[in-house]
Amino acid sequence: MEQVLDLINNYLGLLFILLCLGLILFFYFSDRNRPKISLREIQAFRHIRREVDLAVEAGKRLHISLGRGNINDLQGGAAFIGLTILDRSARAASNSDLPPMVSSGDGVLTILSQDTLQFTYHSLATEQRYNPTNARLTGLTSMAYAAGCMPIIHDEHISANIFAGHLGTEIALLTEAGERSRSLTVAGTDSIHAQAVLFATSDEPLLGEELYAAGAYLGAGLAHSASLRMQDILRWVLVVAILIGAIIKLIGILP
Amino acid sequence: MKKILPTSNAIIAVISGSLVLLGYFFPGVFGNIQSILIGWAIILAAFALFLGIFNLAIVHWKKAKTTGPSSIYSLVLLISLFLTIIIVSLSGPTGSFSLWIFNTFQVPVEISLLAVLAVVLVFSGARLLTRRPKWQTVLFLVIVLVVLLGSAPLFLLGEVAPLIALRGWLAQVPAVAGARGLLLGVALGTVATGLRILIGVDRPYGG
Repeated sequence: MEQVLDLINNYLGLLFILLCLGLILFFYFSDRNRPKISLREIQAFRHIRREVDLAVEAGKRLHISLGRGNINDLQGGAAFIGLTILDRSARAASNSDLPPMVSSGDGVLTILSQDTLQFTYHSLATEQRYNPTNARLTGLTSMAYAAGCMPIIHDEHISANIFAGHLGTEIALLTEAGERSRSLTVAGTDSIHAQAVLFATSDEPLLGEELYAAGAYLGAGLAHSASLRMQDILRWVLVVAILIGAIIKLIGILP
Repeated sequence: MKKILPTSNAIIAVISGSLVLLGYFFPGVFGNIQSILIGWAIILAAFALFLGIFNLAIVHWKKAKTTGPSSIYSLVLLISLFLTIIIVSLSGPTGSFSLWIFNTFQVPVEISLLAVLAVVLVFSGARLLTRRPKWQTVLFLVIVLVVLLGSAPLFLLGEVAPLIALRGWLAQVPAVAGARGLLLGVALGTVATGLRILIGVDRPYGG
């Protein structure tokens, strides 16, 4: 029995990942024939969709910033969401005079953002619109990255700034630059400190797991909706587990 | 060829990702291949950094050639980049000249931006009530004020014990509980993102 418990303990992480994978696949296949999945209203995503339309009409462009997370690390997860937002925004603004501008603070992210833009334009048969200098590396340290982003916000006819990725407290400088240039700022990050700053400085902060719902809200495909449902279910499971654990500890069963 | 390449990209990404993941759970079987793949990723990341800097230089070269008011800044950046590359190449990354550049230019500029950040945060906090006049905003600002007052001795009053105790409770109980809740959401989101890439439905590599 102890050996079995040790084995379960060792491979709990793997079991958890397999559970997540199973739920994603289950919802992916079971939702294929559903006409529409209803999602609760998150204002930030409604504003992103509206700003894309307004940018096209006003002859302005979007600025999407992917932060400075290293994709070899945990921080890469938030940056991948930024790439999904980039893909959806570039598609929606494909008939705009000015294509979106992308900034990042990591070499790999810069290449991935260039690749995402190129692939998006290629799939829309508008490859001539692709310009590699529209996806830029702005700086490698937190402050250098922020300092490099600020001229983009001020000088590139930006109507809205979307920050999605691993960012620290330097995000306050960027949201302030957005405010001064009278452009909307929507921002989400995986950093807790930056989320606190965003609550105070951003027009539309995405807190906690809201950033990771971007794909489902922007219509990136069924897999995004399926993974969002998986997250919702497991979040409730974790809430119940934490409450049960707290009660057990309170009544003295756990040491 | 254009159709084959995205499929082969996806196959390589899915297999590599799966092997690295399995390496964490079965280090005896997949540990070596995991180390090799991570090593390759680090080399590629270094090369990507080089390409990123090249991209930065091209952007500023184009800007420097224009007659706009910001072209002078781009010129300064290009000259600084060129000089830094030469000096660090000759002196080495930890050489005295390289460290002199770092300590004389990089550190003071970044510290100045940190100082600006503090001012920006104070202004943003003050502006928050006009931007979002809700009870959550009032609560946020009251808690910020209490934590600030409880963090340092007050003028003429010195240390106020109840404020310090309240600050400690706020920082250790509600703040930690909230942060853990947010972190759980972030962790679930990260797992979901990773799995979508691992099964090849999300392809941020041009697939």
